[in-house]
Amino acid sequence: MATEAPALTVAEASLRYDRFQALNAVSFSARRGELVTLLGPSGCGKTTLLRAIAGFIPLDSGRIEIDGRDMAGLSPERRDTAMCFQSYALFPHLTVADNIGFGLRQKRLSSAEIADRVSAVAAQVRLSAQLERLPAQLSGGQQQRVALARAMAVRPGVMLFDEPLSNLDAKLRDQVRAEIRALQRAQGFTAVYVTHDQAEALAMSDLVVVMRAGVVEQMGTPEDIYRRPANRFVADFIGTANILAGRVMDTDKANGLYRVETPMGMATVRAEAPPVASHVYLCWRPEDARILSSTEGEVAAENVYRLQVRSRTYLGNLVDLEVGRIDGEGETWRIQTHGTSAVMQGETVAIEIAPERFRFLSEAVT
Amino acid sequence: MASPFPRAERWRNRLLILLALVVFFLALGLPFAMAVLWSLVDPSHPWAYPNVLPPVLSFRRWVEIWTTSGLQQALVNSYMVATTVAVSAILLALPTAYAFGRLEFRGKAVAQMLTLLPLAMPLFVLAMFYVAVLSRLGIYSRFLGIAIGHTFYFLPYAIRLLTVSFSGVRQDLIDAARDLGASRLTVFRHAYLPVLKPGLLAALIIVFILSIEEFAISYLVGAPDFTTVPTILFSYLGYNFIRPSAAAVSLILVVPNVLLMLIAERLLKSTGASAGSGKG
Repeated sequence: MATEAPALTVAEASLRYDRFQALNAVSFSARRGELVTLLGPSGCGKTTLLRAIAGFIPLDSGRIEIDGRDMAGLSPERRDTAMCFQSYALFPHLTVADNIGFGLRQKRLSSAEIADRVSAVAAQVRLSAQLERLPAQLSGGQQQRVALARAMAVRPGVMLFDEPLSNLDAKLRDQVRAEIRALQRAQGFTAVYVTHDQAEALAMSDLVVVMRAGVVEQMGTPEDIYRRPANRFVADFIGTANILAGRVMDTDKANGLYRVETPMGMATVRAEAPPVASHVYLCWRPEDARILSSTEGEVAAENVYRLQVRSRTYLGNLVDLEVGRIDGEGETWRIQTHGTSAVMQGETVAIEIAPERFRFLSEAVT
Repeated sequence: MASPFPRAERWRNRLLILLALVVFFLALGLPFAMAVLWSLVDPSHPWAYPNVLPPVLSFRRWVEIWTTSGLQQALVNSYMVATTVAVSAILLALPTAYAFGRLEFRGKAVAQMLTLLPLAMPLFVLAMFYVAVLSRLGIYSRFLGIAIGHTFYFLPYAIRLLTVSFSGVRQDLIDAARDLGASRLTVFRHAYLPVLKPGLLAALIIVFILSIEEFAISYLVGAPDFTTVPTILFSYLGYNFIRPSAAAVSLILVVPNVLLMLIAERLLKSTGASAGSGKG
């Protein structure tokens, strides 16, 4: 057992609305100073869980602990959490300073201490010059930072973020994302961050909890989730994945090598753990394929596939190719290669996928 | 061309605006001007055919009405009743408006329709039965009788206006305040009040005006010993019809109301603005 209680523990959290299971035995925990993202499509229960942690929604069963203290029956105003709302939820009639100081005033701190903390937090989010403005006089990015500052000011046990970047345009979103992460690291606050944007989750998190339909599909570091997806849903939801239904033909357990028959052809897969079944899904990422030069392609080596380019999309830094079997039948797969690649639609290319780039999913083909 | 409309359409729009102005003038401006003129006719120089304008203008009618009729008492009565009615209608409307504006429950649409039902009834019909109910209940105070009647009848307006205000309150602000540890009172002050305030004032003013102008209940319950401004006005239109006096009384009745109405209008506009300033 760890010596220190996790900053936040969610254990077997379940919640049912009428005929809709919003949360089904969801468990995870966050250590102090960790940023955990709840990632999933809309309706997966991530926002419900966040609101349950904040105390807005009571659970049917399960437990939520903050710093080892059971939160059951505690209303939002008595929980040591602070939320950054998607809509920012700034008080329109209060100045930036009064918004940031709102939580501190509820704690009945002295006005001198409130002023000190407000100016300190405002400096951290670069709003010192805007303290006397009203929210309506600020840009979207600035409003976002006020919301962040207001939550940070109360130094909560757990910070809760409800899709805080979804009202910002793409460029600002990247910038604010980096800022939040930098602040979180610098201040060392524990945070739960809800998003449906997998790029956001990968970039920010210490731990990613992937959810679907009220259930945790997979939990792990961003690298884990991306490199070792557990099932087709996670593989597909995080980044782009080519998923193959495979049949394990031959096993070399000593070296962790497996011969698998796939719709692309025979594949040699290197895996630490054996597949869960003989008929199993495996996946590879678009960047895992290496396009071979014509001379390399002639050599009939292991894991080399000759495929036809069905379509080509130029993305600037990258070229996205949709490839399929040469006979024009069956499914297609996605490959990403350098923006300088001259491969054209209709051409045949030889690609190589290294054995360790294939991953078995823990999901049998049924 | 800067204008978004083609030439023909622009002319049509101008024509329509002109027409609207003419109708407005005929329907409101002209009677108002006539009332002003009539109230200023000097009693010893009657305004009659073929004079286009009154031959002599004076404030003698105004002085006469003010000093000899029961208008002063009627004004006191009217404003006392209206203030009582406005405050009690708002207080009674608040819980219902909260439920309509903030809660979801079965039968909400039906309930909302039912609260508007009194407005579909002719006031005189209602007033007749209302008088009978009052005597059955043993409420013999004229003031109380009129005030209760007005409160009941104008409650739907208050409910309606405040429902809109309550539904403009942002849930995320309520949540944010609670999340930061605010007490109920603080939540009300920072999440509800800024949005409710203009609506509350507007509802107060509108119910106040409606009560001051109401005649049927005031007359049937109050006459003859409890007079309000509209009942005085009616007395000038009836048996001893004196047009200049009636004109003066109607101006006394209408002018403050128009000013109050303009204030209410401004307040209601500002509600819309504050409710709309959600996301940046």
